[in-house]
Amino acid sequence: MTVGADVWKGYLIAWDDDYTLVQSPFTNDMIRVFGADSDYTTLAIAALQHRISLGQVIELISIPEGINESAFSMATGVVVADDESYEACEWDVMIGDDATVVILRRNTTVELPVLETQVEVDGEFHDAITSAWKEEMKDVHVSQGAYVSAAQYNEGAVSRMTLLGQQFGDSLVWPPRQLSKEGAREDGKIGLVPRGIVASWTKLSAAGAPSEFSLRAPLLGGLTTVLLDLNDGPRGVFLMVDDEENGVKIGDNIELVVRRIYAQEGMIRYGLRGRAV
Amino acid sequence: MVDVAVVGAGQTKYGNHPLGLKGMWAEAALAAFESVDGDFTPSQIDEAFIGSIAFGGSQLGNTAALLTEHSAMEGVPVRRVENACASSGFAFRDAWMAIKSGQADIVVAGGIEKMNDLTPERKRFWLGVSGDTEWERLAGLTFPGTYALMARRHFHEFGSNHDDLVNISVKNHAHGALNPLAHIQKEVSFEKAAGGFMVADPLTLYDCCPTSDGASCVILAADHVVQQFTDTPVWVRGSGAASDRLALHDRPSITQLKATAEASKRAYHQSGLNHGDIDIAEVHDCFTIAELMATEDLGFAQRGEGGLFASEGRGILNQGDVTINSSGGLKSKGHPLGATGTGQVVEVFKQLRGQVASDRQVRDAETALTHNVGGSGATCAVHVFGRDRQ
Repeated sequence: MTVGADVWKGYLIAWDDDYTLVQSPFTNDMIRVFGADSDYTTLAIAALQHRISLGQVIELISIPEGINESAFSMATGVVVADDESYEACEWDVMIGDDATVVILRRNTTVELPVLETQVEVDGEFHDAITSAWKEEMKDVHVSQGAYVSAAQYNEGAVSRMTLLGQQFGDSLVWPPRQLSKEGAREDGKIGLVPRGIVASWTKLSAAGAPSEFSLRAPLLGGLTTVLLDLNDGPRGVFLMVDDEENGVKIGDNIELVVRRIYAQEGMIRYGLRGRAV
Repeated sequence: MVDVAVVGAGQTKYGNHPLGLKGMWAEAALAAFESVDGDFTPSQIDEAFIGSIAFGGSQLGNTAALLTEHSAMEGVPVRRVENACASSGFAFRDAWMAIKSGQADIVVAGGIEKMNDLTPERKRFWLGVSGDTEWERLAGLTFPGTYALMARRHFHEFGSNHDDLVNISVKNHAHGALNPLAHIQKEVSFEKAAGGFMVADPLTLYDCCPTSDGASCVILAADHVVQQFTDTPVWVRGSGAASDRLALHDRPSITQLKATAEASKRAYHQSGLNHGDIDIAEVHDCFTIAELMATEDLGFAQRGEGGLFASEGRGILNQGDVTINSSGGLKSKGHPLGATGTGQVVEVFKQLRGQVASDRQVRDAETALTHNVGGSGATCAVHVFGRDRQ
């Protein structure tokens, strides 16, 4: 069955009561490939976020190798099953070899549709980006000058991937801070809507990019960053997804989606990136 | 309370300096010592503050002790002051406070940065260490990017445009062309500056300061010892400093630097002077948009009219309301990060004493201001100077 696909978080999507299929829109020589900032983890996060958006209550899920458990769990708030709890899962994540992820209700047989939409990418560019990510994943690849440790990244990772804000009296704050201007601790946490309006933007040349991006920025022709007025009030700065040449401008509506940001010391750091809607 | 004056000041030439940290600092310190009119020996120094980021990490810890050891100041209580590009602006303020407090009579403030002995790869990576590392940097931003965000927003809110920035670039290159200590002693045409390589849209190469080696050194003295050293001191009439949130996205506005506005308000108040009284302003133009915003934040232009101020040429040497960046500013004189703040003081010290070449002398200059910003505005030090004590 071939169907036209909807778009969810920048990916192609199809679903029914028993499954959500998420697929990269990009192809190279007719084969589905990841975009510059995507991998199985980001597809799986999008798929589970979709099930949750349907009102599905999923408290426990199994994931295969190839998906970053920590990032997946932090981005969705859903517990990943271990060997002991595996049998109790009602949903499983499965991955294909063609930039496809499916979340499937256990013990269900479905016929997955073939999604029509394809955005052909340049093969040379795709190979270069893939190689750059591999190189970036090596233990020896460490940023120079400034440095964000794994511990520091993890401390803010949930806020980075879910836009989890803080309530300080009448004020909503994101990214997280320790104390309010008056010296008070937060009153509580609140998830902000991952949408915003471009307040300003720039495209930084590759030569000026932070070292975390030094391998990929030249391939992308630089890095596009937006300063967003988030719909809920706070501001934030975000890289654009796949550094699309989409002519972003002040006033544009942007959706924030989970993608790879960079890798260091063998660990991929995930976070929110902007996508024009 | 005791008043404080500058009695000596010197600096290296900025640019690709052949000497390393120790040699450059010794050169600047010696120039400052020799600039003192009366008898002066380094052994008279009570305290020293040296600003530096320690760029490249060649002497990251105890930088200051290494430098005093090599400049005849061995044994002087010294420390490195680090506030990004405002390091020596704050070193100067600390020196001023040390005298104000009555704990010291003669204090050295200085700054240094050796930037061009690194490979281009290592150098550019060190340029991004003073912004908000966890959020801004991981959103792909280094300072050209953060200032580009400010520029685009200023254009949007106030109708300023890139031509305004080009005018600032052309002016500062013209001033720097006259300054023998400037990194880039070359005028640039409007057309060339307008068409530069895009560094961070909308900022081009001609909107960005160079990376420079350099050192600067200033000697401050308490009023009761000033006469030992000179009959023409330059008085520190006001010192103001402030800080702001590190990241742009945490600030209510990105088209002004709140720290500049607050620091200048304090410095003006203390000095009894206002923006209209200032003859020379050395402002922190790490990017041309930074000068445009500074002219507003320091009061020389109304809010939103910094572009108009620039396009009307109101900061040009001896032509406008105030001469802005007679040295060439960071854009042309250069920006050895830690040395910039006290380097600005060197310029106004020489200008107010009539010690620069006649073709770049600000006529009838009686007052001056220095404005030194850390990063994208998280820290700022503003000082007001006068030939008159009050």
